Amino acid sequence: MKIEILFPEFCNLFGDMYNMKYLKMCIPDAEFIETALEEEPAFVKENVNFIYLGPMTENTQEKVIAKLLPYKERIIELIDKNVVFLFTGNAVEVLGKYIENEDGSKIDGLGIFDVYAKRDMFHRHNSYLIGKYEDIEVIGFKSQFTMMYGDNTKTPFIEVEKGIGINKDSKIEGIKKNNFIGTYLIGPLLILNPLFTKKILEMLGVDNEVALKEDTMAAYEARIKELRRL
Amino acid sequence: MRKGFRFYIALWGAKFGTMILKLFRRNATFFPGKFALKVCPDFIGKIEKPRTIIAVTGTNGKTTVCNMIEDILKDNNYVFIDNKYGSNIDAGIATTLISGASLMGKAKKDLAVLEVDERSAPKVYPYLTPTYLVCTNLFRDSLMRNAHTEFISGILTKYIPKETTLILNGDDLIASNIAPENKRIYFGIDRLPTDTEKCENIARDIIACPKCNTKLFYDYVRYNHIGKAHCPKCDFKSPEIDYLATNIDLKNMKLTLKNGNLIEEYDLISDNIINIYNIVTVITVLKQIGLSQKQINESLKKQKIVDTRYSEEVVDGIKIITHLAKGMNPIACSRVFDYVRKYKGNKVVILFLDDLHEAANGSENIAWQYDTDYEFLNNDSIKQIIIAGARYLDGYVRLQMAGIDKAKISCQRDEMSALDNIKLNGIETVFILHDLYSMELKESAKKKVEVMIRTKIENKA
Repeated sequence: MKIEILFPEFCNLFGDMYNMKYLKMCIPDAEFIETALEEEPAFVKENVNFIYLGPMTENTQEKVIAKLLPYKERIIELIDKNVVFLFTGNAVEVLGKYIENEDGSKIDGLGIFDVYAKRDMFHRHNSYLIGKYEDIEVIGFKSQFTMMYGDNTKTPFIEVEKGIGINKDSKIEGIKKNNFIGTYLIGPLLILNPLFTKKILEMLGVDNEVALKEDTMAAYEARIKELRRL
Repeated sequence: MRKGFRFYIALWGAKFGTMILKLFRRNATFFPGKFALKVCPDFIGKIEKPRTIIAVTGTNGKTTVCNMIEDILKDNNYVFIDNKYGSNIDAGIATTLISGASLMGKAKKDLAVLEVDERSAPKVYPYLTPTYLVCTNLFRDSLMRNAHTEFISGILTKYIPKETTLILNGDDLIASNIAPENKRIYFGIDRLPTDTEKCENIARDIIACPKCNTKLFYDYVRYNHIGKAHCPKCDFKSPEIDYLATNIDLKNMKLTLKNGNLIEEYDLISDNIINIYNIVTVITVLKQIGLSQKQINESLKKQKIVDTRYSEEVVDGIKIITHLAKGMNPIACSRVFDYVRKYKGNKVVILFLDDLHEAANGSENIAWQYDTDYEFLNNDSIKQIIIAGARYLDGYVRLQMAGIDKAKISCQRDEMSALDNIKLNGIETVFILHDLYSMELKESAKKKVEVMIRTKIENKA
């Protein structure tokens, strides 16, 4: 089992790297590869089972787009081959058509998904979310300068019960195509959602229980109750 | 700048409002300025300001630095205006300027010391040009408000006036690079025996060179991105320090400050690295405006870190230390955790870090906990950790993610009941780490721990 973390020296905001630490606790015998921005990603030539990209600064988005652009076809191929991807926070924007600045200027993305993002650096959106993914509930937090637009109804990740989807008028959060998951949810998403983590393990063909199951479940259930009360 | 009718309405209305608020014994530290800015949005630009303005910004330490500058200036009979008791955003700064102005909007004093929230840069600096702007450091802060350090350093660079002289932490590769065109003075602390070659912290916001993306080479790391580094490929590197603290002597509580050929000795009033940085910052600022070593040090010796941030008391042989650990601020918490683990003797650590406002009205985003070095609490000298409050279950998971043995952790929703589980046998220090908005809780907890210690001793007797 090979798990590749892309550009952790840059894409490590909001405590998201603990998603990988938790995954390591769930799959202790997996090999974790940390690829620096200067290096060629392992997925280009090797078979990896899981590719992770965390949230990053706006300048870093441009560097990451430039880095991944030559591997666009390979990424499409891997998505089609059901390789598991998890892109959190604004990492998902890298694979969209473009990111638009307030002044109308645009940064071209990889164009793998038919969506685009609009920045508003003077207004940071903060919210929580409860929603349905398959037969489970997913909870999480958003904190972002951008909103995403375009049609994600054919590739939905979460059907939102409370909170917003990819933008304030949307009730569908993120993108899920085959085993690719891209979501604006940030932070320790896997730790907050042991049932979702179990789904990821299933996607990877791993039969393990999630780590710290009893305690992560207690925190998860308490959080759901709390969010429903609000 | 022509003042105009709106300005005077704003000024007089704000002054009248201040009078009314004071009559009803209310704080007049925010609303007068808010009113003035509502009536006259460029009010800060129009009001006459003191000739010398020292502004202090940065993620951590700005309040302590301002307090110390103000106390030393006062002790040396300087007269000035400040926002010590007011807010550090545009409305608070407007309020301070109003209080320091005559009815015609003329500045009554020649000097101002202003704490300025870094996020408020776009609303303050287009209208106010600090003579000196101090940036203590730039770290990850509340992600919901401040996003990330690149965003904050970006807005500072964009809005700081070109005429302002910057006083920057040269050991901070992010803070030291703001507004690169401005005249700048760097302060820093020379290599310490505790510095390392590898970083132990989770959050490091400058690992790779911002110019060429190459991994930076750290000559040494103090904590997070504080230290000395250079890019092995291009010319990006830590700056040469103008005011360099050397010989940090914790035994005799002294430091030596080098500025060119000048070498001076100062007293340390704290052994905490954060406060040593604050002291070096304060000395640099005061030297810059012309105070002598004697003036600074005589006053410095009388300073005390305020009780709301740090207190210690010995009760029947057991020390109780309360320490502010700002929730949602990963670096501030990590520094306190580091201090706790390195503090001599066996200890119990009580964590009250939840945001009480979020606990009452929302559901706190705990992403910050995973940028915070809870791993530092995984230390043999920490015999027990009590975690309580709305997020106690999340905290319980976080502590276990840090590798801390479950048997060491006691977690409960109710903060005061959680204290009943304290085990004092063999304990030399009880640390109560609390958020900024948990002062009452901290005091109640401290009283309860005192009673528990006394009861334990009496029972033994």
